[in-house]
Amino acid sequence: MNDVVNSTVRAAGVDIKDLRKSYGSNEVLKGISLTVEPGQVVCLIGPSGSGKSTLLRCVNLLEQPNAGTINVGKFEATDPDVDLNKMRQSVGMVFQHFNLFPHLSVLDNCTISQMKVLKRSKSEASGVARHNLERVGLGHLADRFPDQLSGGQQQRVAIARALSMDPQLMLFDEPTSALDPETVGDVLAVMRKLAQEGMTMLVVTHEMGFAREVADRVVFMDAGVVVEEGPAENVISAPTQPRTKEFLRRVLDPTHIGVEEA
Amino acid sequence: MAMTARQRAKVSLYVQAGIFVVVLAAVILAVDWKTIGTSVFNFAKIGPMFPDIFLVGLKNTLIYTALAFVVGLSGGLLLALMKLSSFPLYRWLATGYIEFFRGVPALLVFIAFGYGVPLAFGVQWDVNIVVMVSLGMVASAYIAETLRAGLQAVPKGQMEAARSLGMPHWRAMVSIVIPQAFKIVLPPLTNEIILLTKDSSLIYVLGLTASQYELTKFGRDGISSLGAGLTPLLVAGAFYLVITIPLSLLARKFESRSARTKR
Repeated sequence: MNDVVNSTVRAAGVDIKDLRKSYGSNEVLKGISLTVEPGQVVCLIGPSGSGKSTLLRCVNLLEQPNAGTINVGKFEATDPDVDLNKMRQSVGMVFQHFNLFPHLSVLDNCTISQMKVLKRSKSEASGVARHNLERVGLGHLADRFPDQLSGGQQQRVAIARALSMDPQLMLFDEPTSALDPETVGDVLAVMRKLAQEGMTMLVVTHEMGFAREVADRVVFMDAGVVVEEGPAENVISAPTQPRTKEFLRRVLDPTHIGVEEA
Repeated sequence: MAMTARQRAKVSLYVQAGIFVVVLAAVILAVDWKTIGTSVFNFAKIGPMFPDIFLVGLKNTLIYTALAFVVGLSGGLLLALMKLSSFPLYRWLATGYIEFFRGVPALLVFIAFGYGVPLAFGVQWDVNIVVMVSLGMVASAYIAETLRAGLQAVPKGQMEAARSLGMPHWRAMVSIVIPQAFKIVLPPLTNEIILLTKDSSLIYVLGLTASQYELTKFGRDGISSLGAGLTPLLVAGAFYLVITIPLSLLARKFESRSARTKR
């Protein structure tokens, strides 16, 4: 309990090698290699359909890759004999549409897998859940139901739910894309805090400001391949690849009022 | 003279009401009230039906329905899960079962399990067992389809969230998906219970002792013994409503309550 309270995380790294994934004849990941060191924050950016969400979902095997290897901490995720449930306990996942359990209260959302999977007692699970709800600033909403909360609050509950399993790695799949603009900041603030506490994070996002500020590395993907990667200030502020430049120009200046390139 | 749209709607409404009154009057005039009074609405002679219609008829109908529903619900859940299984053999078995028992008249199933199976295996089955097996098996076929639709109506993200928290598939089903599916299927499930209540009358094809009579058989028995024509059957019929109407009300109450917690 003590190491939960002082918020130091045992972080795990991720090592992805030559990962391939196809849906039928449509190859969405064409040999991706990517390393995330323990405690690092890596942001995946790129146009929609570039395969970044699929890549993220392959890490905890919500999608089954066709080829390549993924190592998460001490687990080899792509080993057919891996204990998937055991591995997933150490990998928290936050979805674009929250996916909170609507039939359970906020507190029960955060306790159910602690009790059913980690076999924690009700009181211990509640303690951990309340602590994590405090961490995301929602301790006072423990008794509400998900649909009584705003989108931003729901997403923060989803983060608390994932944290309650004491993960060593957190996956974020466009966590702010479904939110009203005024609630985005609260969610990003929680994620920023988590990064500062040393959590390993792999984040698919369109929030370039967040990526520039928080990410140790930014990976730009397009059409199933990694086009460019490196420190945030390089990839976002001084991209070298034409496709990265084009993408960033569209994202950072969506109205195209900016100066046309000469 | 032209009418406004509002006037036209009003006239149309009066015309509809007029047609209804005329039809009702025609039916009332066409009925032979004297005969009906002695052979259908002859309530003066039905005294002997009480209190046994409660103690035997209603009680047995409730027991038979409850037994069949318990089997139907558990069998239906099993079949629904089999139908959604990734293992083809399970899907084929479930599909075959459902198609067969939905397609065959329940009456024939009663005869098969009431006479055929006991003969084939040389066993003697209690009436309760026969109802449980035959009506339960028919009910599971219908309930399976209802539950399958409910399970599929739960968004995929729920299973994904549960699995990504480390829950095994069965645990995610039990704790996350099935509870939500049940909320969705409550109205159609009520419908199944109501159908079951009425189908329990099919047990008449078995030779029943007087203490095993359910409502319909009890009513038919009254026809031959009371000399009040069809009146006892009418009374028995009314008792079905005593079961089904509260059931509908209860379901509606559950529905509005779950709608409130969803808000």
